[in-house]
Amino acid sequence: MSAAETRTGAARRGLRRPQYWLPVLSLAVFLAGWELVGRGIDPLLFAPPSRVAASFAELARSGELLSAVLTTINTLLLGYGLAILVGIPVGVLLAQSATAGAVLRPYFYGIFATPRVVIVPLIIVWFGVGYPGRLFLVFLWSMIAIATSTADGVRNARPDLVEVARSYGVSRAQIARHVQLPGSVPFVVAGLRIGAERAVVGVIIGEMFLQLTGLGGLIQSKAQSFEPPAVLCAVVIIAVIGTVLILSLDAVERRVSRWKE
Amino acid sequence: MTRTPRLTRVANRGSLRRLAPHLGFLATLLVAWQLAASVLDPLVLPSVTSIVAAGFDLVASGELPVALGQSVLLLVLGLLIASAVGLGFGILIGRSRVAHWTLSPYFSALFVIPTVALVPLVLIWFGFGMTGRVIVVVLAGVVPIMLSVSSSLRDEPGELVEVARSFGVRGELALLRTVRLRAAVPVIMSGLRLAVGRAVVGMAVAETYLRLGGIGALIRDYGSLFQTAYVFAAILPLSLLGVGLSALVGLVERHFQGWRS
Repeated sequence: MSAAETRTGAARRGLRRPQYWLPVLSLAVFLAGWELVGRGIDPLLFAPPSRVAASFAELARSGELLSAVLTTINTLLLGYGLAILVGIPVGVLLAQSATAGAVLRPYFYGIFATPRVVIVPLIIVWFGVGYPGRLFLVFLWSMIAIATSTADGVRNARPDLVEVARSYGVSRAQIARHVQLPGSVPFVVAGLRIGAERAVVGVIIGEMFLQLTGLGGLIQSKAQSFEPPAVLCAVVIIAVIGTVLILSLDAVERRVSRWKE
Repeated sequence: MTRTPRLTRVANRGSLRRLAPHLGFLATLLVAWQLAASVLDPLVLPSVTSIVAAGFDLVASGELPVALGQSVLLLVLGLLIASAVGLGFGILIGRSRVAHWTLSPYFSALFVIPTVALVPLVLIWFGFGMTGRVIVVVLAGVVPIMLSVSSSLRDEPGELVEVARSFGVRGELALLRTVRLRAAVPVIMSGLRLAVGRAVVGMAVAETYLRLGGIGALIRDYGSLFQTAYVFAAILPLSLLGVGLSALVGLVERHFQGWRS
């Protein structure tokens, strides 16, 4: 038994042990193979890394890239910020009544499950082709993610503490503020994470299908003029923005969980 | 045997009481919608009755059934390939240290890039036919499946493996088939549920982008004609498709969890 335990233990440690040279080697092989294959293929279609790098330098020099990034980040942060400001109070309100939560849940879920590209025609007739429409695409879906997760958290916040507060005659608003909201912080942070992922996708959909600006617009216009290297540059930058947003939320989550202990 | 009918009857009465607020809210919502629509421009908010009429029209003309059929075919094809690819890479990454450190960074990168941003590139590279569309759905769905397989295989079901070994199961492949994969089924099912949601989005994006058939193209075509009632009537079945599919996977998931305990 003990021999078996050490065997599985060793296997597990082996699987988890970091091997940092492997991803580097893999990336080098991947890029080299891509470069070799890419040079043999029609340059209108394929984009070897060297041409992606050249295109990046070109886009950066002309200032096209910087203005696209700023446009995208502006919509992303404002829409996401609004989603946080509205989503958390809505979540707390939703959790106050079990019936209201249960009744509204299927509608939230239905909206959440509907791909946003197909809502674009409705956004055009409601908001027009512009900034408010793009903002709405970021805001609503993020807000739903944050509100439903906050409501779950508030409902799961220690019922015994709520009971104690209630027996001391504390008002509902004060219970929400001082007992339920602090107790639901891990859920809120989880909602913020899902909301952030949704927000990034929302910005790009708005910029590709509603109004051609920002990084999404760059993707769309460069794809139409058959410049895959420029498209790849924009895709990589979007991935970087998304990763930075998620990593900073992870840092918040770690700080919050440490504070809870 | 005799207990089942009585239990069902009690459950029915209970579910009727639970359904009452839902039905009440739905009725209120529909009436409020109809009233608001009578004031607003039908372009902005078509009335409930005109949406229902548009729905009947879409079904009677065969447009909606044909488009839904094309979409479901694309979805099923994409999910099958995504499951096969995700299972294969998941087993490799979950059981081999070298595969983990060389391959998983690419899947992580794929996870943070919104599928929308990849659609133009994929369609340039793989063509505007079925191949390009299926690849978009596969890219959207493969990562959650791969992650669920690899993470559940990495956590060794120690006792089960020991029991299987003492019953004479030898070799990594036999162990994988008889113990590890079976123990991982509940986690894989929850990965599949996530994948279904993402695949529906991928499908809608690819169809909307191309406008060559499927429910996404149908919605965009009516949207560009500003036929808002038809847009609503076509979005609704798509939402139901997404919700229904993930509910179906959730049902299978619960079945397996029940079987496990």
